[in-house]
Amino acid sequence: MIPIENFLVLSALLFAIGFYGVLARRSAILILMSVEIMLAGVAINFIAFASYLDHDAFSGLVFALFVITVAAAEVGLALGVVLRLFRERRTANVDEANSLKW
Amino acid sequence: MTDVLGNALNFRYALLLPEIVIALTAVAILFLDAFKAEFKVGYRALPLLAVAGLLGAGALSLVWVNETDEFSRLITVDNFTTFFRMLFIGTTVIVIVGSHEYIEKHVNHHGEFYALLLLSTVGAIYMAAARDLLTAYLSVEVLSFSLYVAVSLAKNDLRSGEAALKYVLLGGVASAMLLYGLSLIYGVTGSTQYTEMAAALSASDGSTDMALMLGLVLVIGGLGFKASAVPFHMWTPDAYEGAPIPVTAYLSATSKAATFALILRWFAGPLYPVAEDWRWMMSTLAVATMVVGNLVALQQTNLKRFLAYSSIAQVGYMLMAVAGMGPETASALLVHLGGYLVTNLAVFTGVIHFYNRTGKEGIADLKGLAETNPYLALVLTAGLFSLAGMPLLAGFFTKFILFQAVVEADYLWLVVVGVVASTISLYYYLMVIKQMYLYEPVGDTTRWRISPTGYLTTGALLAAVVVLGIWGTPLYRVSHEAALALFAAG
Amino acid sequence: MGAGYGPPDLTRTIEDLRVFDRLPLPSQLDRTIMAGGTIAGLVAAPVLIVLLGLQITGTISAVEMVFYMAAGVVLGGALGAVLIKNIVHASLSLIATLLGVAALYLLLLTEFIALVQVLVYGGGVIILLLFALMMTNAQDDPIVQDGSQKPFAFGVAVLIGGVFVTALLDAQWGDPTAAVIPFVDFGARIFRDFSVPVIIVAVLLDIALTGAFVNARRAEAHDEEGRS
Repeated sequence: MIPIENFLVLSALLFAIGFYGVLARRSAILILMSVEIMLAGVAINFIAFASYLDHDAFSGLVFALFVITVAAAEVGLALGVVLRLFRERRTANVDEANSLKW
Repeated sequence: MTDVLGNALNFRYALLLPEIVIALTAVAILFLDAFKAEFKVGYRALPLLAVAGLLGAGALSLVWVNETDEFSRLITVDNFTTFFRMLFIGTTVIVIVGSHEYIEKHVNHHGEFYALLLLSTVGAIYMAAARDLLTAYLSVEVLSFSLYVAVSLAKNDLRSGEAALKYVLLGGVASAMLLYGLSLIYGVTGSTQYTEMAAALSASDGSTDMALMLGLVLVIGGLGFKASAVPFHMWTPDAYEGAPIPVTAYLSATSKAATFALILRWFAGPLYPVAEDWRWMMSTLAVATMVVGNLVALQQTNLKRFLAYSSIAQVGYMLMAVAGMGPETASALLVHLGGYLVTNLAVFTGVIHFYNRTGKEGIADLKGLAETNPYLALVLTAGLFSLAGMPLLAGFFTKFILFQAVVEADYLWLVVVGVVASTISLYYYLMVIKQMYLYEPVGDTTRWRISPTGYLTTGALLAAVVVLGIWGTPLYRVSHEAALALFAAG
Repeated sequence: MGAGYGPPDLTRTIEDLRVFDRLPLPSQLDRTIMAGGTIAGLVAAPVLIVLLGLQITGTISAVEMVFYMAAGVVLGGALGAVLIKNIVHASLSLIATLLGVAALYLLLLTEFIALVQVLVYGGGVIILLLFALMMTNAQDDPIVQDGSQKPFAFGVAVLIGGVFVTALLDAQWGDPTAAVIPFVDFGARIFRDFSVPVIIVAVLLDIALTGAFVNARRAEAHDEEGRS
């Protein structure tokens, strides 16, 4: 049996790496990828807790399933916006889209 | 709950009827819009249908006044839910009626726009009605997704796509934060059902305190983003400025109220047993939000950005009530939310009609409005004074109730900060009002009138702002009932 | 366009072929892959040898060895996805992470979620991302410059990682009791116990579809609709 701490530490590291990506990257698509990494950490957490602690072992699994679904939907939605912005401005970098102050 | 198919759950789908009606109306609108050439529908048909569906759903939800029922441990329908059903449905109706001319001129994809407004209303209602973290989280995403799209729908405005991109990216990060926090809280409590979570937290032996604390911080951060509390507010001014004005109005009304409905459900229910762990976080957030929101609002020149910071400041007052959470403060927060919604919508409807006529959105462009359209100037003045908390208007009554409840919850120092912040806010609201009354109109000086539906909505809102200020008892009583239901559900 | 219907203009076609100059030449690509593979192998080999040694001597179980390998892939892939400058390579690195995560789900005895992870991410999300990359940045220049805020980002990430790991290790989690949920039960219970979330997710997907559609549609279509 692998200790649950292993999974939790892994998910924490994934979350931190994803957060680094969000802050350091400029391309909207790469930021989106970093958000996906953060959400992967979240899903690991939910499943680890579901497998190890929840006697029902169930709500966490469903939660993880829906997290994956929502993450995929979010990518679709955000990429639509990215494409539109690229058409209008010829850039997909968030800091070149600067007609609004950050 | 251990066996697979043997447990008795309550599946009365009738409880979900109002939202089903709203969602079906949304689908009907999408359908009508797609086939509008074949059906020869006029351009007013879509908003009419949307309003009809919403009013039907609103009438339906009155069936559950003073009733309490639960759907399959996922959704509860009680006075709290009914309160927010009426609030959200009312807001969407007002936004649609007050802005359909604007939408025709300045918004792409009308069918999708109305459908999104309706679907986001469903999400907002379920944020208030959820009894399970999963339902609540998905409702949050329904509301956020619709708003991401709605922000991007402004026609011929380069700012719109950019605002949507920033909103969607930051929103994704905030969702990830919220989710990580929820996963930790799930790990600590072993359940996602509110009642079971509360029981687990009451019986907690303290062995997972650090994880719980981290979970609370992350959840509050994620929710703070959705409610645009400082320091999670960076998206707010951009999204407000880039969005079509009706969406800005909707963002400042439904999106905020729904987040506070969720905060009330969570922090008065499952997380109430660990109140001492989060009260200080909420009060810190409240102070930061009030101070920064009010100080930055002083420097704005664009009306939408100005209203964005003013609404951030208002969130600070509401967070005070969350910090001092209890039956009385919850009730006061509901009163204040009601008053804030009415007031804010009055201001925004005024701004929408101003933009319809002039196409401008700078504060300086309001110069001389009292001469060219005294009625609209009156509406805006009443709304802004009410936001500042002047006596005899809704804002004074609700803010008074709020501050009083927070003082009684032993947070006198928070109220002192709040009163100082309110005083600062009076200054910048007065600056805007000064533009309308003390300056001569620039350029076009002819008198103009707003549309009949404009008179209808602004008139109703103006009346509500004044009446609530003088006679707020009904709102107070309704909010009290809702807060009682909230704490009874636990 | 639209000068006439004459014979095809050969010079133009050859000009168009220059498009391939913008892509990395095969030799360059080969060298990149070989260099990357060598480095990965050099790093992975000692780790594998140590893990195998530990397993043979009985310090860690076989399951744990698999966990550490999967964790290595996940973390390495994630680091690659946020650090690599070539965005196509970065997204390929993300695939490694997501597949590694699926392997972790298998270790946690949740085959169904692992399957969903592979299908949704491998089949959907990555393809979408690559499409978007090709249609935007990668068209002209696949190399991105990251922002100047890197040191700040690094500090924040280290802080977050440190705080999270400390908090998670501080807590005493209960006794592990891993249970398997059969597929059949999974389906039955999702649609019974979580019926409302399923409905809400349907609404959510509808909104996402609408959103992607209204934004990704060409601008000309907007104008047409505006006139009608």
